Amino acid sequence: MPVLLVLVPLAAVLILNLPLHRIMCRFAFWIGVILCLVQALLVIQLPNAVWNGPCQVAIRLLRVTPAVDNLSLVMFLSIAIVTFVTLLVARYTISDCGKLFNFTNLVILAMAGMNGLVMANDLFSLYVFLEVAAVASFILIAFDREKDAFEGTFKYIVMSAVATAMILSAIGLMMTVTGSMSFNVLSSVMKTDGGNPVILLSAALLLGGLFIKSGLIPFHGWLPDAYSAAPSATSVLLAGIVTKTTGVYALIRVVTMMHLHSHTMQTLILVVATLSIVIAAFAALGQSDFKRMLAYSSISQVGYIILGLGVGTPLALAGAAFHLFNHAIFKTLLFVNAATVEKQSGTRNMDTLGGVSDKMPVTGFTSVIAFLSTAGIPPLSGFWSKLIIIVAAWKAGFHWYAFIAILASLLTLAYFLSMQRRVFFGKLASGLEDLKEGNPWVLIPACMLAAITIGLGLCIPWLFGSFLLPIRSIL
Amino acid sequence: MSILLFMAPIIFPVIAGIAILMLDKKRNEQMCAWLAFLATAANLLVCASLFNKELSLVIPWAGLFNFEFSLRLYHFSSFILLASAGFGFLISLYSFSFMNGREKINQFYSYFLITIGLVNGAVMADNLIVMLFFWEGLLLTLFGMIVIGSKVAFRTAIKAFVISGVADVCMMAGVIMTIHISGKMNMSEIHQLPISSVTAAVAFILLMIGAIAKAGSMPFHSWIPDAAVDAPLPFMALVPAALEKLVGIYFLSRISLDLFKITEHSMLSTIMMTVGCITILLAVMMALIQKDYKRLLSFHAISQVGYMILGIGTAVPAGIVGGIFHMINHAMYKSCLFLTGGAVEKQTGTTDLSKLGGIVWKMPVTFICFAVAAASISGVPPFNGFFSKELVYDGALERGRIFYLAAVLGSFFTAASFLKLGHAAFFGKPSEDKAAVKEAPLPMLIPMITIAGLCIFFGVKNSFPLHTFIQPILGEHMLEGHDFAGWPVNVMLVVVTLVVIIGAVMNHIWGVEKGGSGLHAADHIHDAPILHTLYDKAEQRMFDPYEIGMKIARWVAQMASLIDKAIDYVYNTVVVESAYAVTGFVRRLHTGSYAVYMVWSLIGTLIIVLYLLGKL
Repeated sequence: MPVLLVLVPLAAVLILNLPLHRIMCRFAFWIGVILCLVQALLVIQLPNAVWNGPCQVAIRLLRVTPAVDNLSLVMFLSIAIVTFVTLLVARYTISDCGKLFNFTNLVILAMAGMNGLVMANDLFSLYVFLEVAAVASFILIAFDREKDAFEGTFKYIVMSAVATAMILSAIGLMMTVTGSMSFNVLSSVMKTDGGNPVILLSAALLLGGLFIKSGLIPFHGWLPDAYSAAPSATSVLLAGIVTKTTGVYALIRVVTMMHLHSHTMQTLILVVATLSIVIAAFAALGQSDFKRMLAYSSISQVGYIILGLGVGTPLALAGAAFHLFNHAIFKTLLFVNAATVEKQSGTRNMDTLGGVSDKMPVTGFTSVIAFLSTAGIPPLSGFWSKLIIIVAAWKAGFHWYAFIAILASLLTLAYFLSMQRRVFFGKLASGLEDLKEGNPWVLIPACMLAAITIGLGLCIPWLFGSFLLPIRSIL
Repeated sequence: MSILLFMAPIIFPVIAGIAILMLDKKRNEQMCAWLAFLATAANLLVCASLFNKELSLVIPWAGLFNFEFSLRLYHFSSFILLASAGFGFLISLYSFSFMNGREKINQFYSYFLITIGLVNGAVMADNLIVMLFFWEGLLLTLFGMIVIGSKVAFRTAIKAFVISGVADVCMMAGVIMTIHISGKMNMSEIHQLPISSVTAAVAFILLMIGAIAKAGSMPFHSWIPDAAVDAPLPFMALVPAALEKLVGIYFLSRISLDLFKITEHSMLSTIMMTVGCITILLAVMMALIQKDYKRLLSFHAISQVGYMILGIGTAVPAGIVGGIFHMINHAMYKSCLFLTGGAVEKQTGTTDLSKLGGIVWKMPVTFICFAVAAASISGVPPFNGFFSKELVYDGALERGRIFYLAAVLGSFFTAASFLKLGHAAFFGKPSEDKAAVKEAPLPMLIPMITIAGLCIFFGVKNSFPLHTFIQPILGEHMLEGHDFAGWPVNVMLVVVTLVVIIGAVMNHIWGVEKGGSGLHAADHIHDAPILHTLYDKAEQRMFDPYEIGMKIARWVAQMASLIDKAIDYVYNTVVVESAYAVTGFVRRLHTGSYAVYMVWSLIGTLIIVLYLLGKL
């Protein structure tokens, strides 16, 4: 059943690119939107049993046995929402019909890749789908064929190549030792033979590769360039979900499935997470490019998710998954707003912006909601996920890490306040007198995402029992 | 019915006060005055009808804390009610003329009535917390009445508020400790707690501070002389001269007679007597050199409190009876003196003694009232002040010669300063601009004459107040069969008093000869070698506890501000600068070269590999 989430988008791409594509040009956008909505609806509506129901055709066709648990469902939902928003933003920023058609195709392809990655049950298919999503996003970054975009995508490709090399070497090493790629087998091998140097080496390479994909410090070099140079719609997709799925989700999946929970492994992940949180926050403080600042903020927030992963208790993982989802929501919202501001004002240099809220009230307001949620201000959803992660870290005895995470929240607040002041608040900057609010293609997703952030925050007592705690089943 | 009658003295003036506040003052000046007059008259009637009744009212309130709204009327409290209602009535009559044409007249009458209501409440309250509520409420009207006096009165009002507030906090703590010690909240249920522990002693001292501060004793006195100049005069005649003495000394008597057992030769008794003597002497010394009618009177208002505290502090029947008798006497003659001061101010436009003089034939009635009241306060027989002071002397002598000597010395200076005041204000050469001065109008004269008449009556027929009002307060067993009415028993004391008064007169004559006029009659004391420097410093307010406290407070505030600045520096400069330094460093690391980024990644992976393989 879940295999359909891969097959249907792939089929859609194929059909769209039949020679009839003059006619398809108009429908492409709507097909993409419908795919996203159906996916979101399925996640919300269908019970768990259906997801894990057998689907012989698919297995024969793709030779994969998909596995779907609560965490996967969370990811499916995030993917659907962010892709949906990306398409709307693309509609807003890309006026040419042909370009939009191409863009939509690539987005659907990336979506298929991410869906496949989420349901992968063995290391190799995880790698394959990861590459599908990555290749689609390479092209998406360079979509506008600008110099900066080429530079950004080049860095991404080079670093991804390194990551790919590491992951493939790790897979090869694993293969020689265990003879299987299934997570189940790998997990049992890790339990019995965890001290084997070859396995440790391959685990190290795997982690290194995934760290690069997640853009954690010090493996993050490509990320700010790729995010800021990409076209607005691509940044939304990239920051909102692609890196989160190909990097963070894959990391969570690998670590939990392969039981990489030894003390050294925990320390390693926690150190990388803390480095990311703190250094990226400092770096974000010094940026003047709107999207670049958001990119660093993204690294910092991913640090929190990884911190939850490193702590490794059920509560911490629930917090990490929740933060992953929240991050998809509020960071997408911020990038949407960045796209709106860039499109309307023609610049994303925060020094030349100012007082934008006066002219763009909806954008300004939703941006405040998003940044408050990111900074962890109650009762918005970001507060709860951060709180859960920090409480879990404290309970597990990682007091120092929890303490640093709390202090770094202040930094988050600092750079977002500085962003808000420079872009949205204060006196209207000169040259912006004719600024207008964006059109409904961006305002509707912005409002929707803000509503989700507020709604999740307010519904937390209900969500906590019914949605977050079941995530522990992935352990 | 009894509830209604009970609550009337509290609620009725307060409602009338609020109603006055709501009147449009521009058109209704006369109406304010009439309403206040009628309200005080009604209050007087109600209080008179309540006199010498035994009533109590208990309404459960705030059940969680087992806390009752309880009022109790008995002999002592009904006496204070009657006295305060009488002063309220007379002074509202007086204000008819005096306040006429002033600003904020509606506020004045409103606070006036609310003050009377709160005083009634504080006197009738049986529950300590309820009493505290009314007691603290007086702070508000005190502040309001001083503030409306003049444009510069705000500082004085703040001063009064702060001093009374500090004392009230002490009292609040005392009330809490008393409730803790006794386990009861109603004063009628607490019966002569023994001063057996430090806690009890501290509780008593805290309550005593509250009481004597309300009465205006040292060191809580320093706002009174300032208020005398700034605040409207009827306020001075009503509040610091009469009501605050009544309430403060009433409560002091309650705590030393009923709530706690203060015995002779106890430490607390000695403390009270010492406070009393110091207050008498220091305040009267300051009064002696004043050159303003009202300011001079205000220092006497402080000084005379000393006699009451001394009397009650002796813990012997003669002293206690004398103290309470002196309280009511003082309220009368000091009120009367302030009223004469107000009449002089109203008719001549000044209270500065150097500009006054020679108006005795222009304002004969005022002068006679002044003379009677001044004779009373100086302890000249047969006026009322003489008898109460003799009783206090009697009690003080029983406890120790030193207290007696201090009290007598105080008496000498009191007499001297009033000779000076009368001489400078009413006699001497009239200045030319005072030619058109007339006698004060009737509404001002009636209260003065009434009070002056009562001063004589309470003196000549002192058995009436003592038998009706004061001796029943102590009860038969405490009086031990004494009856203090009539002429003093100890002839020696009377002789000493007379000698002191004659000495004061002679001192005055000598001073006038030396100084040249009545105003300078006390200059030889002012200019005495050591006193001179002390006086100079006192005039600069170097001994004013409020000023000293404010200096300390300012110093503490400066220190706190420095600490705050240091903390601000850490947050605003150190943290921000270091954050930006780190940010700059991180930014410089990001050169944009992918080769560098790749090296980072590879080194990172290498470290991971080495770490996981245990080589690091």
